[in-house]
Amino acid sequence: MAEITWEKRQVSSERRGVSPDRWKFFVGGGLMLLAVVYLIVAGTGAGARYFITIDELLTNPEYVGQTVRITGAVDGDTIVYDAQNLVIDFTIANMPDAFDDLALALHNAVNDPTASRLSVHVENQVKPDLLQHEAQAILTGTLGTDGVFRATELLLKCPSRYEESVPAQAEGV
Amino acid sequence: MLAEIGVSTTFLAFVAALYALVMSLWGARTRSEGKVLSARNAVFVAFVLLLAACVVLVIALVREDYQISYVWSVSNPSMPLFFRITALWGSQAGSLLFWSLLLAAFAAGAVWLNWHNNRRLMPYVIAYSMATLAFFLFLSIFIENPFNRYWFVGQETLETALIPAGGVAPSDALLRDSANGLNPLLRHFGMAIHPPMLYLGFVGFLVPFAFAMAALASGDLSTNWIRASRRWALAAWLFLSLGLILGGRWAYDVLGWGGYWGWDPVENAAFLPWLIGTAFLHSVMIQEKRGMLKTWNMFLVIGTFSAVIFGTFATRSGLVESVHSFARSEIGFPMFAFWFGMTIISVWLILWRRSRGELRDEHAFANIFSRESLFVLNNLVFVALFIAIFWGSFGSPIVSELFLNANITLGTEYFQLVTPPLFAALFILMGIAPLSAWGATSLRRLGRSALVPLVLALASLIVFVLMGMTMPVALIGYGIVVFAGWVAIYETYRALMARVRQQGENPIQAFFALLRRNPRRYGGYLIHLGVTVIGIGVLGSTLFQQETQQTLRVGQSMEIAGYTVRYDGFAAGQISEDGRVMDIATLTVLRDGQELQTLRPRRDFFPNVQDMNTMTIAASRSTLQDDVYTLLVDWEMTPTEEAATFKVYVNPLVNLIWWGGFVLIAGTLAATWSGDTLPARSRKSLMVGATA
Repeated sequence: MAEITWEKRQVSSERRGVSPDRWKFFVGGGLMLLAVVYLIVAGTGAGARYFITIDELLTNPEYVGQTVRITGAVDGDTIVYDAQNLVIDFTIANMPDAFDDLALALHNAVNDPTASRLSVHVENQVKPDLLQHEAQAILTGTLGTDGVFRATELLLKCPSRYEESVPAQAEGV
Repeated sequence: MLAEIGVSTTFLAFVAALYALVMSLWGARTRSEGKVLSARNAVFVAFVLLLAACVVLVIALVREDYQISYVWSVSNPSMPLFFRITALWGSQAGSLLFWSLLLAAFAAGAVWLNWHNNRRLMPYVIAYSMATLAFFLFLSIFIENPFNRYWFVGQETLETALIPAGGVAPSDALLRDSANGLNPLLRHFGMAIHPPMLYLGFVGFLVPFAFAMAALASGDLSTNWIRASRRWALAAWLFLSLGLILGGRWAYDVLGWGGYWGWDPVENAAFLPWLIGTAFLHSVMIQEKRGMLKTWNMFLVIGTFSAVIFGTFATRSGLVESVHSFARSEIGFPMFAFWFGMTIISVWLILWRRSRGELRDEHAFANIFSRESLFVLNNLVFVALFIAIFWGSFGSPIVSELFLNANITLGTEYFQLVTPPLFAALFILMGIAPLSAWGATSLRRLGRSALVPLVLALASLIVFVLMGMTMPVALIGYGIVVFAGWVAIYETYRALMARVRQQGENPIQAFFALLRRNPRRYGGYLIHLGVTVIGIGVLGSTLFQQETQQTLRVGQSMEIAGYTVRYDGFAAGQISEDGRVMDIATLTVLRDGQELQTLRPRRDFFPNVQDMNTMTIAASRSTLQDDVYTLLVDWEMTPTEEAATFKVYVNPLVNLIWWGGFVLIAGTLAATWSGDTLPARSRKSLMVGATA
């Protein structure tokens, strides 16, 4: 069996071959850093979207015509799908910013008659399998002056997230 | 009974991990081999106990023990055996336990295989790996316990691991009737193997991380930790690459949008460690060959594991909104605290060793065109990509929330603008770096070496133009990508022909001899070739994708990209073995009047699944040239009208992405399972040390 050596290794402080062209590395590195920073700043300008609630969207007129990201609970009764032209229309209800139980938050939002509602219009989109009653929709698009939100991107929460349900007690059990 | 065994084995594994952690550190401090040996044995015990816990959970899934809440939530009586077993990682609690098992397996393997050669590092390797394992088991036991059971207490339904006072077990019939079943999206072969691959990749990076930390903690800052962990890092990188490719394939087959990568935060969370891990695999060669970049390599290996833990936290905590993320969970804060603590300790250790002068490089960069300089440049581009993608996925929302009191997210436009120039820089460096020499290379010499691959790349472009490709962006992209591929092929060809001439071997013998003699270089070229093939596929499918949609009556056709797609018939209400109800359309793909293939896109309905219970299944005709990818969008079947609407994509070269993945696997296997684990420089220094 090998013997353990606990002593620490002596470290040589000798440093060989200091480069005379070191400035080239700094200049090259600096230029590269500038290019990357420029790319990130330009990309951020092009891709930045405020992620807001339906209430915030509807109460702040400055968001009209601006590309934003919103989330809401889908009211399944309102889904109208034109399969021939790939157009989907539906309504989403405002959800609170924070919640513990997603399924409950979605259920409460859809069934709350006082919750703000927003009509959504999506074009050139096959109806996603997850677009169902009480699903959470995350949409990117713009609110028109007619009060309809025209979405260019539609994201729906995966059903594996709905794990909060438990077997309900049946009578007589 | 199964639940009790599961809870006990998981808890005992947690105790074993804590014991190993304490004993290894105590043993290192008191220089007691007995204590370190005891810690090592506890690592093996933890692995065996976790294996037992996972086997128990699989048995519970197979035997349909629905009182266990995890079994109830991810399976139901109609599920086939295969998906019943893979449901082990179908949701949060099970996948955390499975993750812990893989972690324990890697830790046990690393300790077992390195025990004799790296005794000085072992106590700290055990300490770091067991601290990580103990943390994940803490989550499994106290927050996401997969062995929790349902109990009725009064009118309430409780979910606990231990039997509550007055608790009555729900009846079997009630549980069976109400069981959820695995999410239909996850009932796909790719999804059955994609998570384990990804987890193996994530967890695999624990080993190089633990060895690096052990080197810092023990003061053995030679290349021992690199040699001990190189194969583990390569294996982890291979699994992570496979996980990413399989995830893309799953999205392509299942999500029905004709694409495979959407710059989703969860996809990005898996890609981030891959980027830093790839940078590490390149730069670690410089430390082995030239004794340089010691501090940088430490930061990269910490960065890789840190990215793994952060990605896991982001995916499983509800931090990001994604189709792929797990349910919002209480594990968020503990995971963040663990990630933060681990990263701070690791960075502090590096800075401490550096302040003592123990991480000084043995050489300085002499020439900007030397291989090590180009490798560093390659590293910087990987890190730039990492920062750009991290900012787009997590940085922007977090910073805006903290400092601007607003939540600003970045859409796909950001990634489409920022990443292509950086990927182009990577491909250029992938082409140039192998042509340069260690130490110093002149620009003239580099230009001479690049001449033939450049001519070949130019010839390839002329062929593309003659085939009708005139889009400037595509030509620039293909020029850069194929240049990198030609370098890999040409360099291998030159070495191969030299062997044929000198040794009289035939080309196949010579190729395998090359792989045996210098697996890292020629395995690396094979990996570069695989990445080139993937790059060609990504460019083709991104720049030249075509799509159309149309409503057809039986016998009618639609045209796309030179293909004719004919609607031949519809079969509604077909019932499969697992109980799903399928509505299937039959299409025929034709070209120039000749029938090529029959496709059956369909819509499945899962009657036993609550809530989200339909799934659109695409059908495609796949060739190397392109995919004709069809989706059944809607249909109307009345006595007078039999019409169906289809969406059809033609994705050129998309299959090269998967085939490139195979080449990448072959290259990584060649580079990993080689006899050459010790570079010449290290062998020499060891021999000198032995004779001193």
